[in-house]
Amino acid sequence: MTVKDVKMNRRWGMAIDLDKCTGCGQCSLACNQENNMPIFEDDSDIPKRVSFMELMKVTNDRDAKFPDVKTAFIPKMCQMCEGNDPKNPNPPCVSVCPVVATDVGDDGVVSQIWSRCIGCRYCQTACPYEARVFNWWKPVYEGTFKKSLNPEVSVASRGTIVKCTFCSHIWKRERDRAVAEGKLNINDVTYKTACQSACPNNAIIFGDLNDPESEVAKLSKSKRALRLANAIDLESPEKQKEMRKVKHFSNPKVYYLTSQKWLKDMLNFRKN
Amino acid sequence: MITFFKSLSKNMKITLSILGILTVLFVIFALQILLMGLGYTDMDNNFAFGAWIIGDLVLVALGGGAFSTGFVLYIFRVEKLRPLINSTVLIGFMCYLFTFVFLLFDLGQPLRAWFGFAYPNWGKGVYPVSMLTEVFFCLSIYFIILLVELIPTVLEHKVLIQNRYIKTTAHIMHDFMWIMAAAGTFLSFFHQGSLGGGMWGVLFGKAVWYRPHFFFLAVVAAIAGGMSFMTMVPYVAGKILKKELVPMESFRTLTRMSGFMFIAYAVFRGYDLYSMAAYYVPMSGRSFLDLYGGYYGIWMVVVEIILLTGPLVLLNMGRFRNQEKLMITGASMGIGAIIMSKFSVLLHGFSAPNFPWKGFTSYFPTYQEWFITFGVLALMILIYMTFIKWFPLFPHTEEGGGHH
Repeated sequence: MTVKDVKMNRRWGMAIDLDKCTGCGQCSLACNQENNMPIFEDDSDIPKRVSFMELMKVTNDRDAKFPDVKTAFIPKMCQMCEGNDPKNPNPPCVSVCPVVATDVGDDGVVSQIWSRCIGCRYCQTACPYEARVFNWWKPVYEGTFKKSLNPEVSVASRGTIVKCTFCSHIWKRERDRAVAEGKLNINDVTYKTACQSACPNNAIIFGDLNDPESEVAKLSKSKRALRLANAIDLESPEKQKEMRKVKHFSNPKVYYLTSQKWLKDMLNFRKN
Repeated sequence: MITFFKSLSKNMKITLSILGILTVLFVIFALQILLMGLGYTDMDNNFAFGAWIIGDLVLVALGGGAFSTGFVLYIFRVEKLRPLINSTVLIGFMCYLFTFVFLLFDLGQPLRAWFGFAYPNWGKGVYPVSMLTEVFFCLSIYFIILLVELIPTVLEHKVLIQNRYIKTTAHIMHDFMWIMAAAGTFLSFFHQGSLGGGMWGVLFGKAVWYRPHFFFLAVVAAIAGGMSFMTMVPYVAGKILKKELVPMESFRTLTRMSGFMFIAYAVFRGYDLYSMAAYYVPMSGRSFLDLYGGYYGIWMVVVEIILLTGPLVLLNMGRFRNQEKLMITGASMGIGAIIMSKFSVLLHGFSAPNFPWKGFTSYFPTYQEWFITFGVLALMILIYMTFIKWFPLFPHTEEGGGHH
């Protein structure tokens, strides 16, 4: 048996428990460190900042006073959309790229090749989750920061789109290690993303959605689970079938868990 | 050069100076954007496209008049349009040329622009997967066609035409121009639809844009608005030069066709708005009125509809169209409506929030963006003026040696 003989069964997904998240920002920090996030001269200019993971603060009512005010933090990275058919994935951003700089892998991860990207930002326009970010300025790595760059992630140049890849370089590293140990079945290897490893409350669970025994697969079927701004999930199965005939829906592979009704409503544009 | 400048009238000197200054500023800021990056624009991760893409859409839609006018003249043989054709081809050529310039500025990596041809996102057979791949190829081929259509105008320059071979070449090219016009029309249908509508209509993740018919709406808009634009430019040029460049009858023929296309556009746009409100937007779990709030929301659609009444009434009823002022008002309002619709698509499309806890965003171009946009307009006017001055743009006015 060689590595090539094994068929990939993985379909990576994520479950994020919003009731456990305190908004400490460790996930975002770990992500920036792991993925060589560029630092611009003025990083207080938030709409132009480059960060794969955005930690969004959400409140039920800005004017509400204690005890009626409720707050939640939503860590948002690329939602790894798969379109209507998981077997033939069609995320909103992939088909639009004019130069094939982005694609969906057989493990369901939406990839992006920085050095192929021409910086037209059409994929950024197509993304309903604002998950893709553009290098508006030339990245600066000052002083000792340069020495701490991760050699497994390429540094993007100015004028290209970058995005979260579910830290797939860690998976490649783990695969290489397994092969060195003589384990040739690619499906034996699992890994943890940087944000999952960093979360002190275990709010981020990453794993294989195709494996019914995995924690993420169980959580994705829980009653508390829902997906971000994917209105079709709220309809009946018959209606869903009808709607899918008309158009593609994003159908992300990232699930958010919460038991708070106001937050559930808000995640899908429903007024409470 | 200096003696030539001194020989001009006072008004012409002022105009040329302003246009010259704008061109110089264009070059300076173009270098800044190309060498130092897009950080100097007001675009950001939310508002991914800005002034230049609006410029692209407007230029392509209005430049689309070149293919429809050429088609009607060469294929349907409406000879009344003959006096307009050289000017029309030149405007179309410039519109497309500067669309490329704008697109190049919008790329984060302009030096990789050729990737669009080297690694295109094709599907099976002749179907491009990405609308932008379609734009890359179609726009380039059509640009070459416009270039070929423009060559006879250049060859008929009074010095060049003395040469026997050049004269024969120009003559033969004129005879076979209908092939170019037909090919151009065929190609135009695709990229008018893709850049103006399809590019936005296919984005199924975005409730504010998604509608499958948007591609076809953009084609109709380009024919309607383009024909009015092809009337306006020579009309304004004639007013400035204080002479009749094109007979009124030609204008009337073109605006009449434009008016008819505006009826088609109005009906289609009505269906478009209805289908969005009743069907496509609710499908994404959003309410149409909520989605069309904000800085660039429903009011832009209302302004567009008000402007649309101009061409619908003034260009379609003979007694209004026969009055010069009303005809021009109708054509201008039509152009305004098409420009407004492009503004609405882009400004509002990027402004609309993707999450319920985010608000509408606004966009105001930085001075770099303004100067590059205005610089392009100045260059277009300069090129048009050059052609009026030295090339037979309106050949029928030159019979009897009437070269000014």
